[in-house]
Amino acid sequence: MSRNNRLRGHNAAAVGVSALVLALAACSSSSTPGASSTSSTTKAPLVIGASISLTGDFADSGKAVKNGYDLWAQQVNAKGGILGRQVQFKIVDDASSPTQVVTNYQNLINADKVDLVFGPFSSLLTVPASQVAKRYNYAFIEPAGGGPSVFAQNLDNLFFVQPAPVVKSGDVFADWILSLPAADRPKTAAYAELDDPFAAPIAENIRTRFEAAGIRTVYKQVYPAETQDFSPIIAKVAAANPDVLVSGTQSDDAYAQVKSLVQLKFSPKFMFMSNGANSPSQFPDKVGAQNVNGIMSAGDWFPGSTAFGSADFSAAYIKSYGGTADTIDNSSAEAYAAGQLLEEVAAKTGKADNATIMSSLHQGTWPTILGDLSWGANGAPTGSFNLIQWQGGKLLPVFPAAVSKATPIYPKPGWGG
Amino acid sequence: MHALLQGVILGVLTGGVYALMASGQTLIFGIMKVVNLAQGALVIMSAYLAYQLFTSFGLDPFLAIPITTVIMFGVGVGVELAFLRPLRREDKSELSLLVTFAVALLIEGVLSVTFQTTYRSINTGYANSSWTVFGYQVTVVRFWAFCLSLLSLGLLFLLLNRTRFGRAVRATVQNPESARLLGVDAQRVSAFGFGLGAATAAAAGSVYGLLYPFNSGSHYDLISRLLSIVVLGGLGSVGGAVVGAVIVSTSSAVVASSISPAWSEMTFFVILLLVLLVRPQGLFGSVERGAI
Repeated sequence: MSRNNRLRGHNAAAVGVSALVLALAACSSSSTPGASSTSSTTKAPLVIGASISLTGDFADSGKAVKNGYDLWAQQVNAKGGILGRQVQFKIVDDASSPTQVVTNYQNLINADKVDLVFGPFSSLLTVPASQVAKRYNYAFIEPAGGGPSVFAQNLDNLFFVQPAPVVKSGDVFADWILSLPAADRPKTAAYAELDDPFAAPIAENIRTRFEAAGIRTVYKQVYPAETQDFSPIIAKVAAANPDVLVSGTQSDDAYAQVKSLVQLKFSPKFMFMSNGANSPSQFPDKVGAQNVNGIMSAGDWFPGSTAFGSADFSAAYIKSYGGTADTIDNSSAEAYAAGQLLEEVAAKTGKADNATIMSSLHQGTWPTILGDLSWGANGAPTGSFNLIQWQGGKLLPVFPAAVSKATPIYPKPGWGG
Repeated sequence: MHALLQGVILGVLTGGVYALMASGQTLIFGIMKVVNLAQGALVIMSAYLAYQLFTSFGLDPFLAIPITTVIMFGVGVGVELAFLRPLRREDKSELSLLVTFAVALLIEGVLSVTFQTTYRSINTGYANSSWTVFGYQVTVVRFWAFCLSLLSLGLLFLLLNRTRFGRAVRATVQNPESARLLGVDAQRVSAFGFGLGAATAAAAGSVYGLLYPFNSGSHYDLISRLLSIVVLGGLGSVGGAVVGAVIVSTSSAVVASSISPAWSEMTFFVILLLVLLVRPQGLFGSVERGAI
């Protein structure tokens, strides 16, 4: 027994010595004449692993997330890295598959022994990935998994880097409507909702608030994802003639709803779309720039935001990837904010290990380019999105007052105006 | 009631667009006994072509149709020569299902690499315009699309019934063996027939791009509809495809408006099932020999 132990100790020592020799050899071989100045004080890099959908269904959004991570790494490394360690991302592709994402995080943690992990794209992939991270007690800062299934896991290592869970993103519209003087408030409402966990619940949350406040529901329709022709639905909306139309939408259905509304010549006084209308470049391109004004949506980062580090982010993004501030994908901003959080934890505590990250982020609020973030015990953010509105062909934050860059316009201008 | 009628008007007009796509599908089946699962992908490909011509050169999608028709005819002939002609086995019809599905996936893959997966839509000045007729809205694009479909179907009818090529096609459909004995070059008819089927996708693609946002994956929704339409109308019957298309789009508009959009697809499949129980060959299909 003891002999065995001694032997093991001996072996370990031998391994240790040979490793040292190898390391020295590596040092000496790298410190060839002329390169000697860099070798002395460099610390090991801080390696962050992440699985991202670079192919498959989520490829476009996945690449936007990767852009955000890379951009942050580039920025923080230019400032000297985290606690003197250069940040290195190890990014692997999961092909948008919830089984591949599990394999990827297991490999990153066990085989590659990365220091930290960041999240993938979509709730579908975040749920299994966060469970792997939990098993090894890794903190899981994730910018793109905000569905109910993510928070239902009650994981204490998870932090969703957006202002609020996705299903609550429309609450800010209800807040604004109910803040209006009673005479200005809408009296009747219609709801057109995509049957999707990221669309219908947003509109339903608004409906609950509206009905409690006495805004009568005159039409409500949940439609399946394969709905292509919205004329029958919008014809019913127009016939019900509501003051406010709340659309629980994703992307193409939002464009199709607007196109049908224009064709059927019905323009409600207030209009909110949960998604699709919040894309600065896509929305006007799909429905016609003359038809966007007055439509409201919800967002976190926006061009010209004065939130912490936002101007730097915007400038660096345009420098690295081209385009204008209007073409920056929000997924990139959210991924970048994930990095900001790590940077702040390290600056505040002098440490960048998983346990410190978890205990720190559960306390207080943390400024990011998305605004100040804080989390509940299950990783659900406790803030609220910004209400944004198309005005003069631009998407501007209009509520709450603290972030607004313009006053909300109502009633909504007619189509083409 | 107003909303219902409004839905029906737009449903009938949309039916014209589907009739155009489905006529190509049914033609290909009639000539070659090939169920072309790539028809939807060909329509989406034409929509991208029209989109590209519009964004790069400002060419109106309706005016682009002659150009895209020629391109799609070429693509169709190419697909037939490259992928379908080599199938010489007894079970060609069954194999062609796999082959055309592979072609659909290939087109989808190439399109998603070239154009990414973000939704596109062709936004001309009139894309969202409509005329008010007796209080009902008649959208400009759907109206012209309907007229275009009638025109294209008319041309197709003339081609099939008034030309030598058309006679060869019909002869091949009715009895391939006898047609060959009488000197019809069946291989050429097949290649041209597939090309013709693909060419109908060109006009349909332009219109589709004007009506709906699309991406490379949109063909899945399309192909399930197209298959239902041609089966309902009777495989191989162009007239049946037209009737089937109008039944599909009108019934889904009526159900979406009066019950719920969630039931509209379902109701149509019930109609399809009932028709098939009574007439297994579809409304205008023929059991004994092919019919166009």
